[in-house]
Amino acid sequence: MTLFLLVAVPLVFGALCLVLPTSPLRMAALVAGAWAHLAVVIRSWPSVETPLRDDFLGLDPLGHLFLTLISALFAATSVYFVGYHRKRLISQRVFQACILALLSALSLLCISQHLGLLWVALESASLAVTPLIYFRLGPRALEATWKFLLMNSVGVALALLGIFCVAIATTCQRNPVALTIADLVRNAAQLDRTWLRVGFLLGLVGFGTKMGLAPLHSWKPDAYGEAPPPVAALMAGGMTLGAFAGLLRMFQVCAAAGLSAFAGSWLIVFGLISIGTAAVFIVGNNDYRRILAYTSVEHMGVLVVGVGLGSAGSYASMLHAMHNMLNKGAMFFLAGFIWRIYESNEIRAVRGTLIRSPLAGVLLLAALCATCGLPPFGMFFSELGIVLAAAQTGRWWVLGIFVLTLAVVFVGVMTALLPMVFGDLPENSSVSEAELPSHRWRRWTMLGAATALLALGFGLGAYQPHAVRDALARAADSVCRPQAEFVTLARTAEVQP
Amino acid sequence: MSAQFITDAVLVLVILLNLGMLASSRLATGVKLFALQSLLLAFLPLAEEVLEGQSPGLHAFIIGAGTLALKVVLIPYILLRIIRTGEVHREVEPFIGFTASVFVGALLVIGSFAVAMRLPLPMVPVSKLIVPVALSTLLLGMLTLVSRLKAITQVIGFLVLENGVFILGLLLLKQTPLLVELGILLDLFVGVFLMAIVVYHIRREFDHMDTHLLDALKES
Amino acid sequence: MILVRVIAAILEGVLVLALPPMLMSIVVKTKAWFAGRTGPPWFQPYYDLHKLLNKGAVYSRTTTWVFRAGPIVNLAALLTAATLVPVLSSHSVFGFAGDVILVAYLFALGRLFIVLAALDTGSSFEGMGASREVTFGTMSEPALFLSLIVLASATKSLQLSEMIGPQLFAARGAVGPALLLVVGALLIVLLTETCRVPVDDPATHLELTMIHEVMVLDHSGPDFAYITYGAALKFLLLGSILLHVAFPHPAQSPWIDVPLRVIELAGLAAVVGVIECSMARLRLNRVPLLLAGATVLAALAAVLALTGSVT
Repeated sequence: MTLFLLVAVPLVFGALCLVLPTSPLRMAALVAGAWAHLAVVIRSWPSVETPLRDDFLGLDPLGHLFLTLISALFAATSVYFVGYHRKRLISQRVFQACILALLSALSLLCISQHLGLLWVALESASLAVTPLIYFRLGPRALEATWKFLLMNSVGVALALLGIFCVAIATTCQRNPVALTIADLVRNAAQLDRTWLRVGFLLGLVGFGTKMGLAPLHSWKPDAYGEAPPPVAALMAGGMTLGAFAGLLRMFQVCAAAGLSAFAGSWLIVFGLISIGTAAVFIVGNNDYRRILAYTSVEHMGVLVVGVGLGSAGSYASMLHAMHNMLNKGAMFFLAGFIWRIYESNEIRAVRGTLIRSPLAGVLLLAALCATCGLPPFGMFFSELGIVLAAAQTGRWWVLGIFVLTLAVVFVGVMTALLPMVFGDLPENSSVSEAELPSHRWRRWTMLGAATALLALGFGLGAYQPHAVRDALARAADSVCRPQAEFVTLARTAEVQP
Repeated sequence: MSAQFITDAVLVLVILLNLGMLASSRLATGVKLFALQSLLLAFLPLAEEVLEGQSPGLHAFIIGAGTLALKVVLIPYILLRIIRTGEVHREVEPFIGFTASVFVGALLVIGSFAVAMRLPLPMVPVSKLIVPVALSTLLLGMLTLVSRLKAITQVIGFLVLENGVFILGLLLLKQTPLLVELGILLDLFVGVFLMAIVVYHIRREFDHMDTHLLDALKES
Repeated sequence: MILVRVIAAILEGVLVLALPPMLMSIVVKTKAWFAGRTGPPWFQPYYDLHKLLNKGAVYSRTTTWVFRAGPIVNLAALLTAATLVPVLSSHSVFGFAGDVILVAYLFALGRLFIVLAALDTGSSFEGMGASREVTFGTMSEPALFLSLIVLASATKSLQLSEMIGPQLFAARGAVGPALLLVVGALLIVLLTETCRVPVDDPATHLELTMIHEVMVLDHSGPDFAYITYGAALKFLLLGSILLHVAFPHPAQSPWIDVPLRVIELAGLAAVVGVIECSMARLRLNRVPLLLAGATVLAALAAVLALTGSVT
């Protein structure tokens, strides 16, 4: 029932958005849909059931964690959007319906245990997000949409090919294997190794395109730069997590089949290339939203490096996924706020946020620190965890490159974006629409949503409740350890509390 | 003329159609060749079940019918409509010339045969050609995608790529549930529909369908 | 018994020598029939040859012995090839392992001398024709050789009479669709080598668009007869190779085999006639694409045959 609700609730509210007559009502439906979804998700905790081998849908620790993250991000975004939205050419209804459809698709992705179903959900998500990128209309948005659509379609097709290859790997057995994660993991030892490897590599390329791993990231700065900031937040914090979940499913199967060294080294390679690429392109960039997009590329790289380092790094990777969601959400919310005030994408034009809107300035400064992984924000701990994991497994090369590139990113982001916070107000700056006294409530909603996410990131970095740590650890365990073993472990842990 | 021979011949024909698409300069011809290719593919699931000595099941019928409806009728219809309403009907000379791209395509085909030889299937396939043909269809689709300038041709390239995935999926008729396959088809259709809309907007915005003028977004 | 075979072989040889002009006549007749005309009499090519042979030849003072040798060497090369190719029955007069290479190069030798003779005249038109002939010949050669590779790998033999004889009939099932590709490639090679329509138009009289005809403008009398007959013979040889691949015959009595093959040849000539009147000559810069197509077809067939992907 919960599973059904997770997918249906956003769809119902999305349909409501399409039919409701007035703008405030539709906005209410959007917020209600997102929060109702969050309520369903919170009610589903703590779950102990493990999906059976024939279940297409189910809440395993990994999916459950990601589902919760995505749902929280959507709830925050829906509130933010109330403050952000303005009358636009494209139909507002379609926009809101697409947001809720995206939430529905991503929920389906997180709870689907069948690889084919997972693919369908992922493709649906990318289709739902396409109209959102084109929201601003005009040639630039069109170009971004076209690039996104084409690259993602190709990437997703390759992911499907990868899934088919995994399916072919199962055919050497007498008894048919369903393509569910539980069944694949259980029978992993008998899968055909060659095809599994091919499947994983194709899946890495496919899901990697969707995540925005370099060198398949080229759509990312364009799409994040041109899409409305709340949409960019959803993509950077939510959709990438969905694609990452798909990649982790493939990795789960490979790890269970004893290919974790092979799969892990490829993940590390892609991850390091991503961080390096981000470092190269951040330095000297003059568009703050594109810089944010490149930090997203960097964080995706960190995520896969963590998983590639094996069980030592995967906990850090899960932690990073959580903080990435919080941080990317807050960062793009603030970018949207700044864009509303300064009405420019260029760093040159945006100076002295601290003077013009003190709260936004402080928040931006905090968000920058969080992005670059300064303590006590959570990303410091997740990145530290990955460094430690690299040291533990003796991969000094990985450690060296990782730290070096992160340092370059740090310097690049700070030198580029700090002038936005401090600096002097640009002359002849006119008062924008969002700064009018009548729009005060808009400013408060926008900054409120950003504050909430940042505070959460700060809080979870400084103090980690037991429940959160447990959820992360269970998810990390399920990635790197064969499921069957994990299930028995979990069971025994329950017996002797 | 055994059923085996016909299946092999159809798969070979699929490759030839791919190469034909690389060689054709008219946009409409490309779309028609794609429709023909999909028509051939739509009958393969049925042929496969016949080859295995069973009467064709509902599953194969639905997949065949779905492919027929979407890839042979609906999608080509949409694309042809877009082409007909525009002024441009020809691909301008692409990055890689037509003759050269046919040769590159042939090399890719040979390469995919070489790769397929190293990937022995764990089961007995319907036809040994399926893996190499799937791979080469995929690669040729990608070649079309990257080497051509017109948005429509890029869409065709994507569709051909998708056909390659479909061919590989033929090996897995029994493994994949019907629901999932229908989902895949539906997603494909919606994807192409969106692409068609975007192509339409590109033409309205720029008065042409060349994608090489879409270069405003880059690092400053 | 041996006597019967000898008689059959002699009869076949006579038939091979007599047949080529008739095939040209069939092509012309088909075109005429499609255009609603009666066309010239069936034996017109023979009358033409007779007329030309009885004429004297005119040689320009700027030409050398190369110009005179051209038609003769060409005809000699083709006649030699005719002894190696199994034309009507499945046996050739001579044959040894590796004779396919010789056959291919005999064709090339004939072409070389025609081209040299054309260049020898010093006329710019003929030089242009020669350049085109050589260009397209170079491009059709890979297709021919790749096709031969397929046949060789299918029959495990390098002797032409075995590669396209009854052995091919036996191996036909194992090669499957590859043979169809080879047929396609060989058809394009045939049309190119014999200068038929999508590549060249034998009926055109505009020097700028011609290929073969423009090369032989300066030849007259018996020389021109040799060239005309040589072209027809080349059509017969390549056509029969194509037919042997397209319709392999099992080993059977020559009394059934040969007439069947003659009928097929007539059919092929009719098909060429249909092609000539149903499509226009390709633009000159599109011809390489066609030949690339033939090469790709043959290459694909070779890949299929060599990787054994076809069951």
